[in-house]
Amino acid sequence: MSAVAARSETAIAPAPQRRRLSDRVRAERRLAVLLVGPAAIVMVAVTAYPVIDTIVLSLQRADLRFPGASKWVGLSNYGAVLKSSVWWQDVLHTMIISVIAVSFQFVLGMLLALAMHRTLVARGLLRSIALIPYGIVAVVSAYSWNYAWSLTSGWIPKVLGLTSDPLSHQFGTYAAIIVTEIWKNTPFMALLLLAGLALVPDELHEAARVDGATTWQRFRRITLPLMMPAILVALLFRTLDEVRIFDVIYIFNQGANGTESISMLNYSTLLDRLNLGLGSAVSVLLFVLVAIIAFLFIKGFGAGAGPSGKRA
Amino acid sequence: MPTRRDRVHALRIMLTLAVMLAGASAAGCGAASSQGPVTLNWYVYPEPSGSFAYAASTCSNDSGGKYRIVMNLLSTASDQQRVSEVRRLAAGDPSIDILAMDVDWTAEYAAAKWILPWPAAQAAQVTRGDLPGPVATATWNGRLYAAPLNSNTELLWYRKDLLAAIHRPPPTTWSQMIDDSILLAKQGKPHYIEEQGSQYEGLTVWFNSMVDSAGGGILTKNDTIIVGPTTQVAASIMHRLATSPAADPSLNVTQEAQSETAFEHGTAAFQINYPFVWAAAHKDTPSIGKEMGYALFPRVNPAIAPRVSIGGYNLGVSSFSQHPQLAFDAVKCMIQPQFQRRDAIKGGLAPVQASIYGEPAFAKAYPFHAQIKAQLEHYGIRPQTPVYADVTLAIQKALSPTASINPTSVVSTLGTEIKAALSSEALL
Amino acid sequence: MSQRARQLTGWSSAFVLIVVLSLVPVVWIVMLSLKTPATATDGAFIPHQWTLSNYSDIFKQGIFTSALRNSIGIGLISTALAVLLAAMAAYAIARLDFPGKQAILAVALAVVMFPQISLVGPLYNLWRQIGLYDTWPGLIVPYMTFALPLSIYTLSAFFREIPWELEQAAQVDGATPFQAFRKVIAPLAMPGIVTTFIIVFIICWNDFIFAISLTSTTKAETVPAAIAQFPGASQFTQPIGDIAAAAVVVTVPVMVLVLLFQRRIVAGLTAGAVKG
Repeated sequence: MSAVAARSETAIAPAPQRRRLSDRVRAERRLAVLLVGPAAIVMVAVTAYPVIDTIVLSLQRADLRFPGASKWVGLSNYGAVLKSSVWWQDVLHTMIISVIAVSFQFVLGMLLALAMHRTLVARGLLRSIALIPYGIVAVVSAYSWNYAWSLTSGWIPKVLGLTSDPLSHQFGTYAAIIVTEIWKNTPFMALLLLAGLALVPDELHEAARVDGATTWQRFRRITLPLMMPAILVALLFRTLDEVRIFDVIYIFNQGANGTESISMLNYSTLLDRLNLGLGSAVSVLLFVLVAIIAFLFIKGFGAGAGPSGKRA
Repeated sequence: MPTRRDRVHALRIMLTLAVMLAGASAAGCGAASSQGPVTLNWYVYPEPSGSFAYAASTCSNDSGGKYRIVMNLLSTASDQQRVSEVRRLAAGDPSIDILAMDVDWTAEYAAAKWILPWPAAQAAQVTRGDLPGPVATATWNGRLYAAPLNSNTELLWYRKDLLAAIHRPPPTTWSQMIDDSILLAKQGKPHYIEEQGSQYEGLTVWFNSMVDSAGGGILTKNDTIIVGPTTQVAASIMHRLATSPAADPSLNVTQEAQSETAFEHGTAAFQINYPFVWAAAHKDTPSIGKEMGYALFPRVNPAIAPRVSIGGYNLGVSSFSQHPQLAFDAVKCMIQPQFQRRDAIKGGLAPVQASIYGEPAFAKAYPFHAQIKAQLEHYGIRPQTPVYADVTLAIQKALSPTASINPTSVVSTLGTEIKAALSSEALL
Repeated sequence: MSQRARQLTGWSSAFVLIVVLSLVPVVWIVMLSLKTPATATDGAFIPHQWTLSNYSDIFKQGIFTSALRNSIGIGLISTALAVLLAAMAAYAIARLDFPGKQAILAVALAVVMFPQISLVGPLYNLWRQIGLYDTWPGLIVPYMTFALPLSIYTLSAFFREIPWELEQAAQVDGATPFQAFRKVIAPLAMPGIVTTFIIVFIICWNDFIFAISLTSTTKAETVPAAIAQFPGASQFTQPIGDIAAAAVVVTVPVMVLVLLFQRRIVAGLTAGAVKG
């Protein structure tokens, strides 16, 4: 099998007659519907009812404890959320954590991907071990790190020589949460980046080396541009995940010390306070926020040129 | 390329499988058998010593074939238990019969009509001989909605050797305790006061105990906010503790377990915690256990005996149960003194029957039985309101981190936050 | 060859660094699982007192063994179904031209973006009504649904890279369509499918919020839900040793998967460009 996958599209024979072409196109579309149908039906069927239910509830004043007292209030839940300083603080907390965590994951993931791709030492073992954080149950990973950061029961404060409890303060809690997220998710980022990395033809590197380019120049001018689609898919998926961060924050301190994320707010409003109206409004707004970020990625940086679009 | 026929065939197989699976499981979850003992589903947390399981099986056997209590285990975490119970109750789940309820959920469940009030005649029988505190937690709007199962209250635990070193008696007020701690700190001895300062229910328990002990309260029975000068006193003491050398550096993340751990590690001179710490310390670190003394919760107002927020669990009967009378019978059986005794001695759960406190076996296992009984008779209670979940969240957010409490503005902050909680129209 | 020696030293150091960073928290959990209850909170990295009692504890309770069974079964079935549906869809997206291609990708993205917490309540109500609550299908259906978007994206990326004309070439050489598929396409598609399988399985294995919301008994409870039910020494203490032991036990299958299939994963990711 060739080292470089052939890029040519499946050739469509230039059909002389119009009728035969549209027959083929029709057959292709029928087949496509049949193939895509089941997945589409499952996705829509399972999520349609809950999503519609959420949107409907967000327009009501609804509380699980008073089922008979629901009434329509239009957009006032959204007004209450958007006017609330709690919401904006939580957006800020979430953005800080997401941006920092994803940036570190990107840099470290790139380094890890390079190592996984090019190492001369125990490549198979390296790849296996590096993927282990990815496979650990997320809740357990959060639990392990929370414990490790504890002033009395953990080992990190001792190693860093701290006398005050890092988890009792906002900065320390941020650091602990971000470190946990980085540890858990860098392998996944590395996997996605490795896919793009391995598709960069070695011949280009060779040619550039012969021309006298340094490693950094080769990286910046050859590797990065050719990896762009993979980079953007990786960043997109990871950012969407980080913005919805919940497990780690829940386990660390339920969002105290100024680290509450939007998902944590969603949880406490929906499941603790049983306020379906407000909670659903938060859900919809979170979804809108995530959609905006996805839109920015896709349109702004062309991440849509991934599976279905043109390659660079 | 795989033909269309192959694909359609595969689809058909999948659909059939899915339908079969769904049908089989639906049938499996089908109606209980009409003959034989009725299954009563008891939703309860996994009690470590097995005393609850013992009560369930004994009562099932003694029912003469009428019912069989099956324990459905919930999470060990109290708020997770509530989330699981509430979801099922809100959906009108007919498969729940008996619920283990933390004492502060009574008003919420009762107002939402998720649990049945006890028939008046049986109510008197169920609570006969019970201490007043636990009964108060199970009552809402004058009716008994749950049967008290066990109770809990926080005491002061201290290091006898450290107090001896500074020649001081066990403190009786909070200011004495903090002063003692500062004195110990000056001498370079272990000095922390362990309290639960994390942003969770334990913080509300602490705050409520302080306010009630100051002679005030937070909410009246009809949801009138009564925070005032007593609240300021209470919050000021909490703030003083958090900003003094007495504060454990981990105060902002300390829950009951961490308080106990710190005390066992020897860094603390005092801790406010539930009685489970006595057995735990004696088992884990006997050297500390040996030096452990106990006393009543310190006074906030020197003239008033302390009122400490009651904890514990009550048993409720679901409104959607298909066998409510049998469920009531089962509950009546499981709260009998012999089970309470066993729960207490094996499981470390304080009984609600007053008479047990005088029994020799109990007194031996609980040297501090007199203190517990006193605090369950002269008790503090967290606000009983259907929107308690919101109120406690508002309190927690307003008071955490405790070091950041502003004593001058805390009363108005709390007032605003609790008002928002009561109206259910704002984010907290 | 000092450059080679330098390279080897460099990569060896990188190897050690990566291994240490990846494994320290895992080793920490293993250490925690070996600590006696009395020393669980002493903060030492290496236990002063060792015990295997935590492991025997968790298997003594029926919850954990049935939870393992449920996790494995539900995980495998959800993953198989998700990969099957995704492969079909990805094939169409990668090879065929049809209107609505962008739409299906947009729907997939939207599914993955909606906050899971809000879906729990309505799903719970729906499942109760049609009898899927606390059953395997009750978890398989949501897991499959939420695994589909990532599977479709991943698989269509793989399928785009496969040289499909090789199939036609094989047929020209005399192979039947089925032979051509089996001998030429299937081996090229397999790495992508295996990778997707592993990624999806790990997602299902990890899920917590659906597991605790849509199950209530050992019939369908998975491991993350069961861990939340381990009793501690008292009402207030968490059973650290037990939780750590359970964590180690559930990590082992994943580690085995990763070790066994590492070659396939990487080969798949690079469409065969890089051999293990």
